[in-house]
Order: sequence, then structure tokens, then C-alpha cells
Amino acid sequence: MKTFLRIIGTLVVLGVVALVAFIFVPVQRTGPVTKLAADYQPPKGAGEYVMRASDCMACHTAEGGKPFAGGRAIASPMGVIYTTNITPDKETGIGNWTLGDFRAALYDGVDKEGHHLYPAMPYDSYRKLSEEDVVALYDYFMKEVQPVSAQVPETKLSFPFNLRFGLRAWNWLALGDAGYKPVQGEDAVFNRGAYLVEGAGHCAACHSPRNLMMMSSGSSEKDAAFLSGGEIDGFTAPDLRGPASGPQQWTTEQVAAYLLTARNAHSTATGEMALAIRDSLQYLTKDDAMAIATYLRKIGAGKGAAPTAEKVEVTPTETLLSDAKPDMQLGPRLYLDNCAACHIVNGRGAGETFPALDGNSLVDAKSPKGLISVILHGAELPSTADRPMKLRMQGYDNRLSDEEVAALATFLRQGWHNKAPAVSAAEVKTVRDEKH
Amino acid sequence: MRDLPGLPSRRTFLKASAASAAVVGIVAPATADAAPAPAPLADYKPDCLKPTEWAFLMAAVARLIPSEGDGPGAIETRVPVFIDKQLAGDYGKAADWYMAGPWDASADPLRGWQTPLAPLEIYQQAIPLFDDWCKATHGKIFAELDPATQDKALTSLQKNEMKIKPELREFFTILLGNTKEGYFADPMYGGNHGMAAWKYIGFPGARGSYKEWVGKHNVKYPLGPVSISGERG
Repeated sequence: MKTFLRIIGTLVVLGVVALVAFIFVPVQRTGPVTKLAADYQPPKGAGEYVMRASDCMACHTAEGGKPFAGGRAIASPMGVIYTTNITPDKETGIGNWTLGDFRAALYDGVDKEGHHLYPAMPYDSYRKLSEEDVVALYDYFMKEVQPVSAQVPETKLSFPFNLRFGLRAWNWLALGDAGYKPVQGEDAVFNRGAYLVEGAGHCAACHSPRNLMMMSSGSSEKDAAFLSGGEIDGFTAPDLRGPASGPQQWTTEQVAAYLLTARNAHSTATGEMALAIRDSLQYLTKDDAMAIATYLRKIGAGKGAAPTAEKVEVTPTETLLSDAKPDMQLGPRLYLDNCAACHIVNGRGAGETFPALDGNSLVDAKSPKGLISVILHGAELPSTADRPMKLRMQGYDNRLSDEEVAALATFLRQGWHNKAPAVSAAEVKTVRDEKH
Repeated sequence: MRDLPGLPSRRTFLKASAASAAVVGIVAPATADAAPAPAPLADYKPDCLKPTEWAFLMAAVARLIPSEGDGPGAIETRVPVFIDKQLAGDYGKAADWYMAGPWDASADPLRGWQTPLAPLEIYQQAIPLFDDWCKATHGKIFAELDPATQDKALTSLQKNEMKIKPELREFFTILLGNTKEGYFADPMYGGNHGMAAWKYIGFPGARGSYKEWVGKHNVKYPLGPVSISGERG
């Protein structure tokens, strides 16, 4: 009995020591992935370009706030996370951060004091940035961004998520090697695309499913779940790799046009993607957009082969709408009364203006929230350098009841070639009641 | 058709329809057939017209688009409500017209609005004068006359047999024009109740496009109309 107690006692002591170590031993920081010359200077404009590609501004600027002064509330399943001030202000910003501090935030998700950052900051992606880009970005924030003295609200998550040391375990599981390793056998264009998608672009943050630990599935195309679709705030971020997905159905040029202008021959960007294009992707060079498109098409079901020509056939849905029989069901009737003028009875819309609804990832999405939201509140295309027109679809929240939106959405999700579950009036009510 | 200011030409009407379609998000919450029935016309509380003016208007539009006949009349389609609401708004005040003169009542009507009075003022001043004339000529105010005499009185008004004062010379013209507008305008403006006028003439309403029907010749379009607020007929 005495021996047993002694063993238990020893184990408890060891456990406490391990826990204390887990909580208090300083975090190891990842060093530079390549040694740059001591006098290395990033090319002019390189830092701003990396900032655009990484879309730092979108999260680190509050609604109507000064650029990069933080304070934007990011809703997460664990609670509201406030983004930090990343201007070079010495008191409230990152003005006192060294390159090493800055790199640790990007690579390891720890701040200057060694506190863990919440992974709303996509350091699992930024970890792939090259040392050149890290230095360029640091240089940009220190020299080109205006310092702003602004204290942001403290992030207070509920227990146990308020214990930031818990993220240490998360990091062990979620983080792979730092830096990007080119895929052997693929050309420079593919690898440039992969670098941008997996790294700065942090596409996986939305487009990859998250597991029970809230980790993105995979960090590169080697994982089948990578970019196979995710969920953000109840909205579906579409699959990018399946045979029916946009990048696999479109040509490389069309994918690039979508990224640069929020519109192409088939579709238009809405919701979070429209914001990502407005704030980030439209600033990419044509070459980089083509590289991303090349990579996305290559890693998907199409394996980079040219998409098969669209079959132009008259579907039963089109016939139903064209006949316009008065005894038709409510869904198609509402489509004729409200939608057909722009989206056309064949559901193919008009290139670069009205998105096709047949095969549209938003219409077909697992979660109908995006579709309901667009029907109720409308949508607007961002103005981009190549396509400045902010085309707007009006909302129908005053014109259609919950039952009518449900009938219309159900019709859209099952019309033409679409095959998605029906939508209920209760689901519509939920979206209508949400603040937006 | 004459283009008096505020009496919309076909072109401005189309423009206005497009603009209204664009701002549909801020209009009445009416949806489809389930829209609650409005208060009966007899209980309607006018926004700007006084009881005597309202009584005249009810009687006058009932003769201009009468209820007996094969189509709906101005009363069932609530045209007086439309006119009252228009007169209470920008139209009644001539709020966005050029109203600084000079006015010449002898000018050709093609020269446009030739009175310093806004439409509401014309209604307010012309109705008592016309009622007085009716009383002197036919023994009763207009609203109390029998329909046949009312028709006669309106014809006299149209021909200006009463020699109404020059500032009011447009009275009959705007009364008739406003009545037609109230009959055919989108129901969201108070008239064309139940889209009855559109159903009567076979107008399919504010549906945006009929592209697939361009090639279908001699086929009657089968669907009833839809209004800007989404009512389906």
C-alpha cells in the first residue's frame, strides 16, 4: 500500500511539473528559413504586395477605422476575437517589434511577449512565407504604415479557450515545417501558385474543412481534404477541387479573371469572397493570378486539362419556365416574377454581369445561408481595376415572405442541373432575423 | 399626348418605373396575395383633401372611368386614393417643377404649365368654383347630381363652358390625367387596386423580361401580372 501511494505521489508530482512546464517554458521560435545577406533590402513595393496578397488589412482594420490599427471583431465559435493594432506605434502597435518578433507572429503565432495568438490569425498558412517576403512585409509595416495610437478591446473568450497556453498543443498538431518546399516535377508557375494559395493567400482558412480541433484539413494539395470546401460563419466556402467546382469547370483564364475582377463568364463573387477580391486578390499581378489558377486547376479533378465544352441543352426546368403555365408551383412562378429578367429561364445568366445559377456553388452549397442571404439582402460586386462597375443585385426582403424565399430557394437548388436539399421557411427566418 | 410637367410622358413613366424597381426594397411590405385588404374606400381618411373636395373627387372619377361596363371602374381600383396621395406629395406641391414664371394663360398648351398654382392648389380652388357652377346651372353641387347630369357637367368643364379663370384652366386636364394614372399605375401608389386595371387590359406588370416569348407568335401570354411589391395576379 505504501509503495502504491509513493508511485501515485511521484506521478502526480511529475504531472504537475509537466503541466507547469507546458504552461511556463518559453515558446521556441522558428528562425529564418533562408539566410539573407546582412544588408538585404527588399525590392521597392514588395512589402505592400505581400501585404495585399496576405490581406492583412481586411482583419487588422476596424469598420471605418484607420488602416492596420486593429479592433475589428472577428466572430469565432469560441467567442469574439479582436484583431490587434499592427501599425508601427511603439505603445499600442508593433513599433518595438524586431524582425524576429514579427517572424514569430507569422510563423509560430506568438507575440513579442511570447503570448500565443488565436489562430484567427492564419499563421498556419503564413508559416509558408519565404524569408524574403517576411522581411519585405516587416519593412513595409515599419516604414510605410502610419503609426496609429489605438488600444484595441481585449479579447475575452470563455473558459477553456481563454487559456492561451492551450494553443501550444494546438500548434504542435497544426503546424508543419516553416517555409514553402517546391513540389518536384511541377513547373515554376505551379509552384508560385501553390506558394500563394498555401501561404500568403491563406485560402484554406475558409476553403478547407476544419476538424474537431478547428484545424484546417491539410496545408497542401497532398491532403485530399485541402480546399475541398469549408464553412465560415454558417456560409459555405465552396469546394475548389471536385469535378463540379468552379476552378475545375472554368478555364485557367476564367479562374484568373474571377480572382482579379470578381466576375467571369460563369459566375460572380459574393460575400466573403467579394471582400477578399476587393481587398486582396485584385491587387495581384496577372501572372500571379494565372499561377493560382494553374495550381487550383492542376490539383483538382480536372488535373489541369481544359474543361469540356458546355453542353447547350434545353432542360425541363427551362421548358417549365418558358411555358409559364399559370398552374406552376410557387417556386418557378417566383423565379419568373423576380429573377428571370437577369438570370434568364435557362439559368445561365449573362457573362461577367449576371451569374449563372445552374451549377452555381452558392446556389448548390451545403448550407443554404449564402443563397438565402443574397435573395433577402442582395449582393454587390466589388469595383476592381479591370472591371470598376459595382454591379448590384437588389434585396427582396420586403417583397418576399419567408415561405416565398424558401420556395424560391428550393426551386433554385433543384432546378436545371442543381441537386441540393430543400430550404425551409424557418431557415429563411433565421437569416432574416440576423443582424447584417 | 401633351407633356405637362408632372404629367408623365411615356418615356418618363418608363424611367420612373425602372427607378421604382431599383428602390423596391424601401416600399410597402406587401407580399403576394396575402397582403391585408386596405380600409374600405368609404372609411379612407384623405391625406390632403377636405371632405367636400373628396366627395367631388369620388363622384368625378366614377364618371370618368365608370364601374358599369366590362372593366373595373375608378372606384373599385381606388383611384381617389392615388390622387389624394399624389396631391399630398411632391406632385401636389409641384415640388420639383420650374415654377418661377412667367405664366401666360393665353399661351398654346404646348408651351407647358401656364399657372403659378401647383396641382393641389388647382384642385382646391377649382372644385368650389365648379360646385358653385353646378349649383347655379343644375341645381345641386356636382357630387349630388345624377350620373347623366354629372356627365353633362364634366363635358361643360372639359369644353370650359363655365369660363373658369385662366390660372385654373388645366383643372379638367389634370383631373382626367390623374384618374388614368391612378387606374394604371403600380398598386404601391394606392390606385390600380388588386392590379385590376392591368388584368383587364392584359398587361403582365412589372416582370422584368419576356425574352423567351419573343419568338412565340400568336400565343397568348398565360400569366397574370405581378406588381412592384410582389403581388401576383
